[in-house]
Amino acid sequence: MDPGQAGLDYARQLDSKDKLRHLRDHFHIPTKAELSQTTLHASTPSRPGQDEPSTYLCGNSLGLQPKLTQKYMQQYLSTWATKGVYGHFKEVEDSELAPWLHVDDDCVPAMAKIVGAMESEVAVMQTLTANLHFMMASFYRPSKERHKIILEGKAFPSDHYAVESHIRHHNLDPTTSMVLLESFKPESSILETSHILSIIDAHASETALLLLPGIQFYTGQLFDINTITAHAQSKGITVGWDLAHAVGNVPLSLHDWNVDFAVWCTYKYLNCGPGSIGGCFVHERHGRVDEHPPSTPGGEPTFDYTPRLSGWWGSSKSSRFAMTNRFHPIPGAGGFQLSNPSVADTTALRASLDVFKQTDMSKLREKSLRLTAYLQTWLDVLAKELEGRLGRKCFGIITPRDAEQRGAQISVLLDDGLLDAVMESLEEDGIVVDERKPSVIRVAPAPLYNNHEDVFRFIEAFRSALNHALTEKESKESVMGNGGRGEKGWSEIK
Amino acid sequence: MSSIAERLRAGSDPKFPENANTVEYAENLDANDSLCQLRDQFVLPTKASIRKKALDGRSPSSVEHTKTGTACSGELKTNGANGHPKDVSAANEDSDQAIYFVGNSLGAQPKAVREYVDAQLETWASVGVGGHFTDMEDSPLVAWQDMAEDCAKKSADLVGASPSEIVIMNTLTANLHLMMASFYRPTEKRHKVILEWRPFPSDHYVIESQIQWHGLDPKKSMVQIQPDENFYLSTEKILATIDENADETAMVLLPGIQYYSGQLLDIPTITKHAQDRGIVVGWDLAHAAGNVELKLHDWNVDWACWCTYKYICAGPGSIAGAFVHERHGAVEYSTGFEAPRFRHRLSGWYGDDKSGRFNMDNKFKPTPGAGGFQLSNPSAIDLASLSAALSVFAQTNMHDLRSKSLVLTAYAQHLLDSIISDSDGEPPFRIITPRDPRERGTQLSVLVREELMDAVSKALVDSGVVCDKRKPGVIRVAPVALYCTFKDVYTFMKIFRKALGA
Repeated sequence: MDPGQAGLDYARQLDSKDKLRHLRDHFHIPTKAELSQTTLHASTPSRPGQDEPSTYLCGNSLGLQPKLTQKYMQQYLSTWATKGVYGHFKEVEDSELAPWLHVDDDCVPAMAKIVGAMESEVAVMQTLTANLHFMMASFYRPSKERHKIILEGKAFPSDHYAVESHIRHHNLDPTTSMVLLESFKPESSILETSHILSIIDAHASETALLLLPGIQFYTGQLFDINTITAHAQSKGITVGWDLAHAVGNVPLSLHDWNVDFAVWCTYKYLNCGPGSIGGCFVHERHGRVDEHPPSTPGGEPTFDYTPRLSGWWGSSKSSRFAMTNRFHPIPGAGGFQLSNPSVADTTALRASLDVFKQTDMSKLREKSLRLTAYLQTWLDVLAKELEGRLGRKCFGIITPRDAEQRGAQISVLLDDGLLDAVMESLEEDGIVVDERKPSVIRVAPAPLYNNHEDVFRFIEAFRSALNHALTEKESKESVMGNGGRGEKGWSEIK
Repeated sequence: MSSIAERLRAGSDPKFPENANTVEYAENLDANDSLCQLRDQFVLPTKASIRKKALDGRSPSSVEHTKTGTACSGELKTNGANGHPKDVSAANEDSDQAIYFVGNSLGAQPKAVREYVDAQLETWASVGVGGHFTDMEDSPLVAWQDMAEDCAKKSADLVGASPSEIVIMNTLTANLHLMMASFYRPTEKRHKVILEWRPFPSDHYVIESQIQWHGLDPKKSMVQIQPDENFYLSTEKILATIDENADETAMVLLPGIQYYSGQLLDIPTITKHAQDRGIVVGWDLAHAAGNVELKLHDWNVDWACWCTYKYICAGPGSIAGAFVHERHGAVEYSTGFEAPRFRHRLSGWYGDDKSGRFNMDNKFKPTPGAGGFQLSNPSAIDLASLSAALSVFAQTNMHDLRSKSLVLTAYAQHLLDSIISDSDGEPPFRIITPRDPRERGTQLSVLVREELMDAVSKALVDSGVVCDKRKPGVIRVAPVALYCTFKDVYTFMKIFRKALGA
């Protein structure tokens, strides 16, 4: 039996024992034909095997669509059409969905479970970057002494720009108020916890805020949220987390870890569709609203609460439509809401959460650990193979090898000049992964809908993609040697 | 109808004839309305559908047409009643039709929305992450990364701006905050914000919390313009308030149309007056965008925000819009390519110029114009819905919509006046919206006598009339030009008159 078939059979065997395998059926998995079509309505596939499912390992960038989404979306559109404005508050039987006034709250319980928080600590609102700004308006309140913000040097651009623009908003100077964490090992982008703690210590008395990603988008590193949070807070620093790549990927316990605030998006591992509504977490201790009786008889009570940029949707539900213009914040994260949310977005969120409700984060993590370990094993085998054949590995894994320090994703750093050809080849084989130029591909087996077979098919395709890319590169290099095409090296790929 | 519209534009009496309060007159106006067929682009609730407690797979239109083998398109001039293809005049007699006069709160659903939303879901399901940059051939949508810009382009006529001055993003209140973060930069001397006496709560909270964010005191920095006893904010009063506070004022933030009274403010005059005194002017256009003609660029407005679920009909809570005047959107590289100069803003990756957005070098180089104020990649499903709604606006223009709207609202006022003149004793209600058509949009706010409110509400609901109640005591009636008819107005008045016991 050829090793490919044996490998495939073994993968299928592993899958047959997976207690969560039925969850894959809850998702639309693009077929190979669909991936390559340029019309909305597919015609008959021209090549054999094209109506097979693709190998979609790109849920870290855009999660796949739950089948429930279309069903719920039709219910929402029907409610709008038939009820008009009454959809805000009228119950409709045999619609799974809540009246629109409550669509965001309706999603909170399941969302809170996923992030390990009390329901009152979670709000469904806005987008990740907007939430980051609103959280910073509340939690970055620099003084003369404490004005610095510590973040990673290679933060996702939004985090960098959000921090920079808040520092400027307070008329401070980013060059003196931004502390960028760089890896102290030049060959690795991993930020060791001990290194992070030492940087915190070095700036502690001047630092107001620490902002880090739960999972680093480029390397896939999972940070020790608990330890880092505790350490920073012990120095009087507020701690916020960007959980874009962590929510729905790894178990979180934001409440127990005493995190001050956190923000996330829902279109990656939460499968809510491109750009869909975001979420935020505000720890209970910051969400208190204390009422003080009126100072004069017949006067208005006043409230003490964490200062924030506010809007009508954060004001208590019972008074929301009274239009008195006295802000009475909802206790907890809800008081940070601004506007009535997009019902189309919350409908997609509700559909996705109804799939998550059929399992839990610890079961998903269990499966994810197996899948990603399986991926790593095969990558190691492939690397050894190439080393044996060619004298070098041709790629390396830049994600921590320790399973506790990563989520589903493994980032693979290719040798120079291989990325474009590898991606082209993978695409032809119906493999969907993500590229980060100039040389990284990110492979993310999502536990809800990927399986061992997906990983195995990826490896087979990756092997042949590398072979193809290496051959191409060699032939180009020999052309170079013969007076090639230009001064720039071939590794300078745009 | 166009001659009536012209008189109204000039602020003159519409001169409705003696027989205006007849169904024949109303139907005649409808028959001569060149925008009448736009109604067929919408799914309108019926009396039966409003009362429905369960979904039964039928919308008030399309499905049944298909069953009876008739086409469900504009040619048939169906109006959303329970599957009866008739011409307009006959269809208006269908007593099952709800009268949907609440588009000022939630616009009716364009039929195109379902098509565009289905296309979006299908794209996502079929090509996954590839949808960001793939233009599907038989889709009404563009690639996801282009959708916001596409909607900005299609919004140009609605707000009177060039596409680069418009950005589709976030929600109204979030955008107010982002605009204030850029444009409200108080100094010791200039710290005040002038607003109206009773803004929509969000506007009040936005201003209050932005002032507090700067460590200032709302009691000292918020100046509220008081209305007269008819809830009217005269332009003179507004300008006088600006004058009284000019040297200490950083910003004026007002609603294009006041939500409670329905008053349309004189945007160009107020804007110029404030700007001549060194004050920045922002406008909340929640009730104005898609309702009245706006010329934000020519009026030199500094910035503005709007939502899209009222007159723009994109669905509850759908993605909002903002305008930033061209002169504030410049991005200059005179001091070097690595040090662009631009108006301060709270920024995010999506404000980065498209060409550099995926470089991940963390050097913010904003897109010139309003687009540089974006934070996050926007919701594609919201943009699909908005795109569908804007495709209806593309079949007409704001000038023509306003012409029809002027006549519809004047007609409504005319009939309301006759109810009052026909009633004995104390009038059962009073219209608090300005009588001058140049000072209002579609909506009329009717302040009903307290003791009559309950009976009126009940009667309206029982008769399948959907309009909006605003405490205390106001019924807001909005005969939206895109999908309401003169017959609707006539029928509403019959019901209203009866409900008042007049």
